[in-house]
Amino acid sequence: MKYLVMECHPGYAVVLDEEGRFLKAANLHYQVGQTVSRIEPMRERPPKIKQGRWFYSLAALAACLVLVIGALFHLENRPYASVYMRINPEVRIDVNRNNLAVGLEGINDDGRQLIQGYDYRKKELDTVMDELVELAIAADYLHEGGKITLTLDAENQAWVVEKEETLTSHLQEYLSQHLTYTIEIETNRAGDQSNQAEQGQEVVIPIHQGSASTEASGFGDSDYGESDYGGTWQESGDDDDDDGDDDDTLWEEPPSDSAYGSAGQSDYGLTDYGQTQPTSPAEEQDDSPYADEGQSDSDSED
Amino acid sequence: MTEGQQMVKEVYEAKQDPRKADDLIRRYIPFIRAEASKVISRLCTEQDDEYSIAMIAFHEAIVGYEKSRGAFLGYAAMLIRSRIIDYLRKEARHQGHLSLYEERGEDDRTLMDTLADGKDHMDDLVQREATLQEISELAAVMETFGVSFSDVADNCPKQSRTLAACAQVVRYGGENPHLLEELLKTKRLPLAQLAAGTGVERKTLERHRKYILVMLLIQTNGYEIIRGHIVHVLKKGGASV
Repeated sequence: MKYLVMECHPGYAVVLDEEGRFLKAANLHYQVGQTVSRIEPMRERPPKIKQGRWFYSLAALAACLVLVIGALFHLENRPYASVYMRINPEVRIDVNRNNLAVGLEGINDDGRQLIQGYDYRKKELDTVMDELVELAIAADYLHEGGKITLTLDAENQAWVVEKEETLTSHLQEYLSQHLTYTIEIETNRAGDQSNQAEQGQEVVIPIHQGSASTEASGFGDSDYGESDYGGTWQESGDDDDDDGDDDDTLWEEPPSDSAYGSAGQSDYGLTDYGQTQPTSPAEEQDDSPYADEGQSDSDSED
Repeated sequence: MTEGQQMVKEVYEAKQDPRKADDLIRRYIPFIRAEASKVISRLCTEQDDEYSIAMIAFHEAIVGYEKSRGAFLGYAAMLIRSRIIDYLRKEARHQGHLSLYEERGEDDRTLMDTLADGKDHMDDLVQREATLQEISELAAVMETFGVSFSDVADNCPKQSRTLAACAQVVRYGGENPHLLEELLKTKRLPLAQLAAGTGVERKTLERHRKYILVMLLIQTNGYEIIRGHIVHVLKKGGASV
C-alpha cells in the first residue's frame, strides 16, 4: 500500500491511501506530495467515558436492594418452628423467627374445617392459638374435660423450651378469661430428654372442669371456694419439677403415680364437682379418661 | 483561573480547532521531546522516529483528553510513553528483516529503487513537485468550501462497507460530469441526485459529506496525479498504479 502525503502538521500528517481513505498518521518527516510506503496511523480516540454511568450504578444498587429485600422477605416467611395443636381438630401452625404465623394447616379433617376461612396472616402465634381455641370452643370441639396437646417442633431447642413455658401459661391465662368456669391445664411432656430432641416437644394441656387450686393457679376465679379443693391440691402439689422436665406450669405434678392417681381421683371425685357445678355438662365419664391419661403420662416419665 | 484550568481550556479549544492544536503542540515541543528522551534513555532529536511518534501521541492526547482523566500533561506523558514503547516493540519485530521499500540512509531511496533502478531520480523530484502543486490547488479549492484535509481525515468512512458505498457514489459523480459542474457552480453537494442515482442512503452521504466533496473535487479538472493514486477507487476494476 502506498500513501500520498496530502497535508503536514507538526503533530501529524494527512495521507491518502490507494483505497481512497484519508488517514491521519505520525509525521515521520514527510513532505507534502511525497509517496510513502509505511505509515504509523493515528489511533482512534480512546472510548469516551460514557455519560449516564450513574444510571448503571443506580441500577446495580437497585438490583442489590431487591435481592436483599427479597432475601429478608424470604427469611421472614420461612417457617422457623411449628406448633402442632391437637384438641380434636389437629392443626399445624408455622411461625417465623419473630413468632409471626407464616403458615397454618389442618392435619386432620376437623382441623381443616376449623381453620377454614381463618386468616392467620400477620398474627402472633399467641393470637392465632387463642383464636383457634376460641373457634374450637365455638364449634364445640373443646369443652370441659377436653384436652389440648401442643407439640413443638423446631431446630432450636431453646425455642422449644422457652415456648413450652410461655405458650402453656399464656393458654391458661387466656382460657381462664374466656371460659366461664375453671379449667385446669396440665402440662406434661412425653418421652425423655433424648427422645424430645428428636421428636420435638409435646405439651399436653388437658382441660377439665370443676377443680382449681388457687395457690397454684393465677386463674383461680372467685367462683370456686378454696376450701373445697385446697386440701387435696396442697397434698399433691408439693412436688415441684423434680421429675427433670422444665415445666414451669401452674399445675404441679404429683410426686408419684399413686399419689397422682389418688389426688386425681379424689379431686374430680364425684362429690366435689357434682356439688359445686351442678350445671356442668361434663359428667363422670369425662373423669375416667383423664385419670387414665394422667397415669400413662407419668408412667412414661418414670 | 489556575494554570491547570487554563491548560484544560486550551486543550478543549484545540479539540475543536486543528490550528490551535498545532499551536499547542508547537508550544509543548520541549515537553514532548523530554518525555520521549526519558523513554528511550537518550536525547531525542527531531530526526528520530520516536520524536514523530511522541508528537502524534501528544496529538492523540489532545483529541482523547477528558477533564475526568486528570491533569492533561500527566495524561499526555502517559500516552507518549506507552505509544513509544508500542512503537519500539513493533519495530523490534522487524529487526533482522529488510523491507524492499524501506528508505535507507539520507537519500530517500528504497532498496527496491536500488534494485530496479529504472527510474530517473530527477523525474522523482519533478513528480513530487507536480504532486505538491496539485495538492496545493486542491487545498485552495477546498478552502472555498471551508474544508481542510484534517477535516476530511476525521470525516473519512472507517468501515469498509461504508467506504465502498461512498466509492460507489464518487464513481457515479465521475460518470455524470454535470453533477461536478453543478457542484463547482453552486458550492453545494447534489446529495439528492447522488443518493437517487446510486441507491445509497442519504444519511450515509450526509455523514461523510466532506469526504465525498473532496473525492468529487478530485475528479474535476486537473489532479491527474492524485487521481492516478486512487485510480483503483475511481474506476472499478481499473488497473492499479
